[in-house]
Amino acid sequence: MRNFRQAAGPLLAFLLGLGAGLLIAWVIAPVEYVDAAPSLLRADYKDQYRLLTASAYAASGNLERARSRLSLLGDPDPVQALTAQAQRALAAGQPWESVRLLAALASALQNAPSAASLPSPTLAPVLFPQGETTAVPAAPRPASPSPAAASSQAPLAATHTPVPLIPPTPRPTRTPTATPGALFALTRQDVICSPALPDGLLQVTVLDAARKPVPGVEIVITWNGGEEHFFTGLKPDVGNGYADFIMTPDVIYTLRLAPGGTLVSDLAAPVCQTEGQETYVGGLRLEFQQP
Amino acid sequence: MPRWALFLLMFAVGVTAGLVYGWIIAPVEYTETAPASLRADYRTDYVLMVAETFHAEQDAELAARRLSVLGSEPPEAIALQALDFARQSGYAPEDLSLLAALSQAMRLVTQGGAP
Repeated sequence: MRNFRQAAGPLLAFLLGLGAGLLIAWVIAPVEYVDAAPSLLRADYKDQYRLLTASAYAASGNLERARSRLSLLGDPDPVQALTAQAQRALAAGQPWESVRLLAALASALQNAPSAASLPSPTLAPVLFPQGETTAVPAAPRPASPSPAAASSQAPLAATHTPVPLIPPTPRPTRTPTATPGALFALTRQDVICSPALPDGLLQVTVLDAARKPVPGVEIVITWNGGEEHFFTGLKPDVGNGYADFIMTPDVIYTLRLAPGGTLVSDLAAPVCQTEGQETYVGGLRLEFQQP
Repeated sequence: MPRWALFLLMFAVGVTAGLVYGWIIAPVEYTETAPASLRADYRTDYVLMVAETFHAEQDAELAARRLSVLGSEPPEAIALQALDFARQSGYAPEDLSLLAALSQAMRLVTQGGAP
């Protein structure tokens, strides 16, 4: 019993010390990370990052650089992340320009083959030969071989000074888009009777002169007492030049492609019949093309 | 060894073990950081994105707002830090030119005369 008491005292002291140490390390003075990767950004900052990437892509036309930047965010599917953000922005009433930029980048990424063999333009392999560790306690720093790897390895570290050893590469040329200035004309208008589709589905497809889908085209639809804007390219799984809208039965719509496109008026959800003579609300399909 | 000394020694060992575990083996993990905490190369690339966009839009106020998420320093200082890092890291001349133009514009914003 005496031996137990003699041993319990130091053990208790150790446990008290351990608790005090953890309290200091986790609560009072936790590790301060100053070198975070974009993948660790808060969701709203990631949205800002994607939008800024899309804006920079629109300005520079450098798709590989945009792809490299998006990979840093660690999204499982960057195209899907862009599309989802565009839809959220649309629903939140954010400026059309933001939605258009996001949709355009999503579409460009979808269309262009991945150039995985190309070196990363800006964030080329980063090594840390001159790293100086301060007294700040740090998580182990991974040797970041590439931006993508960096994002997947949760690259937090203390106050090192990173030095990219491989300089950025020149920019590729701008991704081709629709012929500037040429207006889209309505080339096809079909009634779609398919019970499998949602009632009143208005499908719009926008093509360039070479019949390639054009993303990011703003479509304005108006009706008595209402107006809505939507964009092609927000559903890349259906098509980059595709957009849709659900029409309310017995409402007459007017549609135009912004800016200054031809008006298509008197659009209404058609009434269709099944083989059993049952009626249901059908849809419309419009196709626009640049001359 | 006196009993109190053993107690003190074991307490010190416990504190040390707790600090090693809490700071090195299993440190607090942050998963929702702000752009201000980005590593220098990521931060510089963020500024470069702002510079590329500024080059097309020529909206210095908007560029300054975009840079403000990188910290409480004036946008001019943020842009200059990025320019210095880019120079040291061998960025392409075109990128350096964009960053220099942004720094110049941010200087005017700081002085109250946005272009």
